[in-house]
Amino acid sequence: MLRVKPRLIATYIVPMLMAVALVDVWPLLYTVSTSFTNKSVIHLDDYHFVGLQNYQQAIGSLDSSFIYVLLLTFLYVFVCIALFLLVGMATALALNNPRIKGRSIWTLALMLPWAVPNVVTPLIWKFLFNYDFGTFNQLLRLAFGKQAGIPWTIHPIWAFISVVIVNVWLSYPFFTVVILGALQSISQDLHEAANVDGANAWQRFRYITLPLLRPAITPATILSGILTFQMFNIAYLITQGGPITSPLKPGVTSFVMIYIYNKLFGDTAGNPHYGALSAVAVLIFFILLGMTLLSLRASNVAKGANT
Amino acid sequence: MSDQTITSTTSALPKAGILSKEALRTVEETRAIALSRRKRGSIWTGLIYLFLLIMTVFALFPIYFVVQASLRSNQTLYTTDLELFPAQPTLDNYGYVLTQLPFLNWVANTFFVCGLATLLGIIFSTTAAYALSRFRFRGRQMTLVILLAIQAFPQLLALLAYYLLLQTLGVISTAPLLGLAVVYAGGSIVFSCWNIKGYFDTIPIELEQAALVDGATPTQAFLRVTLPLATPAMAASALLIFIGGWSEFAIANILLNANETGSNLTFAVGIYSLQNDFRTPWGYFAAASVLVAVPVSATFLYLQRYFKSGLTIGSVKG
Repeated sequence: MLRVKPRLIATYIVPMLMAVALVDVWPLLYTVSTSFTNKSVIHLDDYHFVGLQNYQQAIGSLDSSFIYVLLLTFLYVFVCIALFLLVGMATALALNNPRIKGRSIWTLALMLPWAVPNVVTPLIWKFLFNYDFGTFNQLLRLAFGKQAGIPWTIHPIWAFISVVIVNVWLSYPFFTVVILGALQSISQDLHEAANVDGANAWQRFRYITLPLLRPAITPATILSGILTFQMFNIAYLITQGGPITSPLKPGVTSFVMIYIYNKLFGDTAGNPHYGALSAVAVLIFFILLGMTLLSLRASNVAKGANT
Repeated sequence: MSDQTITSTTSALPKAGILSKEALRTVEETRAIALSRRKRGSIWTGLIYLFLLIMTVFALFPIYFVVQASLRSNQTLYTTDLELFPAQPTLDNYGYVLTQLPFLNWVANTFFVCGLATLLGIIFSTTAAYALSRFRFRGRQMTLVILLAIQAFPQLLALLAYYLLLQTLGVISTAPLLGLAVVYAGGSIVFSCWNIKGYFDTIPIELEQAALVDGATPTQAFLRVTLPLATPAMAASALLIFIGGWSEFAIANILLNANETGSNLTFAVGIYSLQNDFRTPWGYFAAASVLVAVPVSATFLYLQRYFKSGLTIGSVKG
């Protein structure tokens, strides 16, 4: 540490603290305080304190739309993460194989989806998924005749699958990079020793590679889980959270962020209940805070394992 | 201990003599095993190549698709038959995007918003990161904890607060791009601060102490000694803020109200404003996407080497 006058310390840190207070802390506190009121478009100024009523509405009964949306989001996160790990692991192992030639070219090709701005990605895939003119259905028609075609983005289950595919496309390279980096740091001697002892390829992977990868994979998985949980662009720009099958239920791709967004500013928002939506936002914040603490713990454990 | 090893080797000696005969016999067998292993190995290698090929098609096809779509006339895009190559490639879409659409305005607006956000974000976060790394003061630990909690709070959750605040202040009607830049800066400041602080922590403090002994003021030591060494972390953070802004849709869509021509939008909102319920002009979409995605992706790939030294060190040690 450096010993300096308190005034100098203040010059360094106060500008940022003021910026954070204004742009981050204030909106957070505003959201929390609104969540205890009945504020809405109609009651913009004449709102009053309603206690925990908004929270009770959000999580009081198991068939509230927030619980539904939350479960959908967790399902989405779970499926996506499982696929990221699978595809990331497979590609990393392939790219780490010494018998493969031109590995840097393959790596670059497999990295490209990551580099595409994620506001452009949904645009491309939306067209690929188009029922009449999209490439996927063109291919299916070629293979199975004129009547073939999958209702991507139109049918609820296919819409869910579509947004999962797109998310896997843009996110697996992160896992490839993380796992490949960790693989390259594993000493070859361990494998040779295990080979001499008669371990087969699967056993070597299961008992040597996998445990040594865990310190790198665990924090990456949690971080990715947090990002997937709050992801907006992909599902919103492809399906707008739809398809809507019933006026009472949010669409099957209305993940938490999209749900709030549509309720606040969507075409059918009508008279948005700011209080209730703020309560939902606060609940989501607590979930994310929990996941963040978990990731810190995981990376600390990983650090402990490394040293 | 040494006695034991001696006895065990001596007792093993006669056995070894017997085994050598068997060993001779099995040379043929081992050769056969090695051969079949090599064969199996080459099948494996073939399968790995096949897998890499499939993955490459998966990774690159959408990118190829948008490029070829941008070279098609709009009519030939709306076909129900598979056509992988444009029969008559044309640059019409690019011409239309550059001259008939306010595309260049979107790019300029996004440059303004992202550039200002990056500048503000980096200045605020670097000085604070330095203070958090080098100085000890009351409330330091508390500040770190609060920053961590804020980082878990996505700005999108506070969209209502931003909207109402900026509307009350009149920013939405007078200077929405400025408001957007401030919101983006605020959204990135905490992450940058953590990232850069983590990097400062890896720079030996002795360097500055030596500078102080030589008569430099603390600020001179910061600006001349430490700051140049922290360039990788600052570049990585700046890149993240700048590139993130190009793809931010949700907040911009609420804070920016399109004028008649839509020339006051950012790229993300502008490009989606082309779409309406009846028609989606894919050719223009594709051309505009390619124009923006190529430089942004290239920057991302080029600067990725900073991620190795900048971000990973920051995030691992943070």
